[in-house]
Amino acid sequence: MNKVSDFLTVRNLTLQYKTGAYRVTAVNEVSFSCDSGERLILLGPSGCGKSTILKAIGGFILPHSGEIMLNGKQLTKPAPDRAVVFQEFDQLLPWKTALGNVIFAIRNTRAISRKAAEEEAAAHLQRVGLGALGHRYPHELSGGQKQRVAIARCLALRAEVILMDEPFASLDALTRQQMQEKLLGLWSEARFTLVFVTHSIDEALILGSRIVTLSPHPGRVIEEIKVRHCDDLARRHPEYAALKGRIESILFKDQLEYVI
Amino acid sequence: MVFKDKTKLSVWERISDINWLRKLAIVVTLAALWQIYAIWLNNALMFPTFTATVNALISAFGNGELLERVLNSLKMLLIAYAIGAVLAITLTILSISTRIGNDILEVLTATLNPLAPVALLPLALLWFGLGAPSIVFVLVHAVLWALTLNIHNGFAGVSQTLRMVGRNYGLKGLRFVFLILIPAALPSILTGLKVSWAFGWRTLIAAELVFGVSSNSGGIGWFIFEKKNQLDIDFVFAGLLTVIIIGILVENVLFKTLEKRTVLKWGMKQ
Ligand SMILES: Nc1ncnc2c1ncn2[C@@H]1O[C@H](COP(=O)(O)OP(=O)(O)OP(=O)(O)O)[C@@H](O)[C@H]1O
Ligand SMILES: [Mg+2]
Repeated sequence: MNKVSDFLTVRNLTLQYKTGAYRVTAVNEVSFSCDSGERLILLGPSGCGKSTILKAIGGFILPHSGEIMLNGKQLTKPAPDRAVVFQEFDQLLPWKTALGNVIFAIRNTRAISRKAAEEEAAAHLQRVGLGALGHRYPHELSGGQKQRVAIARCLALRAEVILMDEPFASLDALTRQQMQEKLLGLWSEARFTLVFVTHSIDEALILGSRIVTLSPHPGRVIEEIKVRHCDDLARRHPEYAALKGRIESILFKDQLEYVI
Repeated sequence: MVFKDKTKLSVWERISDINWLRKLAIVVTLAALWQIYAIWLNNALMFPTFTATVNALISAFGNGELLERVLNSLKMLLIAYAIGAVLAITLTILSISTRIGNDILEVLTATLNPLAPVALLPLALLWFGLGAPSIVFVLVHAVLWALTLNIHNGFAGVSQTLRMVGRNYGLKGLRFVFLILIPAALPSILTGLKVSWAFGWRTLIAAELVFGVSSNSGGIGWFIFEKKNQLDIDFVFAGLLTVIIIGILVENVLFKTLEKRTVLKWGMKQ
């Protein structure tokens, strides 16, 4: 592992929000990078700027300073080659059914017949366990079901880079575990580059090949950790407990009373 | 012992729960009061009875006269409505891309919206003369600003997340407007359409009353005006009743159905 990781490079990235008369720095001088086909985890406490960084990689927020390079090119705007699952529950188009949402994503980003798009969309919904609910409108779905439709819709884009913002946060433990396994399964088929936001150390260790730990607001990178293993038995791996302990000590170093 | 978690409502309870039935009862009562008062007054030139009005309504529709008037009125309103809608959408689209455009639109709607359309009639007469173009001009003014205001507010209220979803698919320009903004703003747009229709309908009748058109292309306002001149007061009442009925049909049947099939079905409005 001497080669420099340079597929996705975030360099000295500072991101700000304008609120009223102030500029609020949400992310301060953040740098990290990863190879193509990696599973990069952004891990940190609530409000540290994980979503903000993800939106910047998505091209929705322009850097105040610093840069984001993908495959040697500077990112300036959103594109379907970086498919996003947002953290918010209102990301599905309310006027389209679950199936319609996936079809819409496919048909607007690829030249494909309506029939083929329909079949493909149905297969993607099947994968996230919602094959029977395709005819429902988003307001007729639970929070977790909505997020799974959003995941299906995102995967349907067949993007090179997939950006997911706490997509499993509202799932029960069992469904979450199934979805994590499915995501890993899909990844080993398609080998997309995954940037995944979570505040769960366990989830980070199960899914990640590289973990970027962020400090509380304003977010800065504390440490970048390579995770070597990759299988759904990660929990039983001898290295797991050691790594988990290490991340906990990194995240909680400065504030003893801090709760994620 | 089985616990009964369901008990049947009495027939009377069930009947009194039917919304339209209760309202129908009110309408019937009003009609009865009207009838009683008119008989007591006994002056058909001032206030004809309900039955006389209904008879007049039937005969005016029967010989096709009233239907033609109604169609003339609706045609006029639809033309103005279409022009207004296209203008409103265009203005809003032009304005959303820049902040100054936004400001201009907000100032325009704020200043022109309160200007009662009928107040423009003298000017319309001066510019377009007596006839359909004048009425259409006034009607466009009546529908345009309420519609623009609502479309603009609707666009402004579209969530950041939905916008980002659209941009994620690479949607830009008109495709973004038509595939994301318009459907996402549909609750507001429908409200705008409803409000501006109501505005337009009231203005139309008033405009026709004030300066009618020629006798063969006149609308329902002209019908009322003409019948009053001929002292056919029961027909005047029939005309008024028609204005009310069409208003109710459009506002409560057409728009309600439209809402039920769209924003209500999609859970975008409770
Ligand atoms: N639109 C906004 N305007 C102003 N400040 C914002 C905005 N969005 C986020 N912030 C601020 O920026 C910081 C980072 O927010 P962000 O949403 O990226 O946090 P996060 O790490 O995703 O948190 P969580 O785990 O709770 O989702 C927070 O302090 C937040 O208050
Ligand atoms: Mg977040």
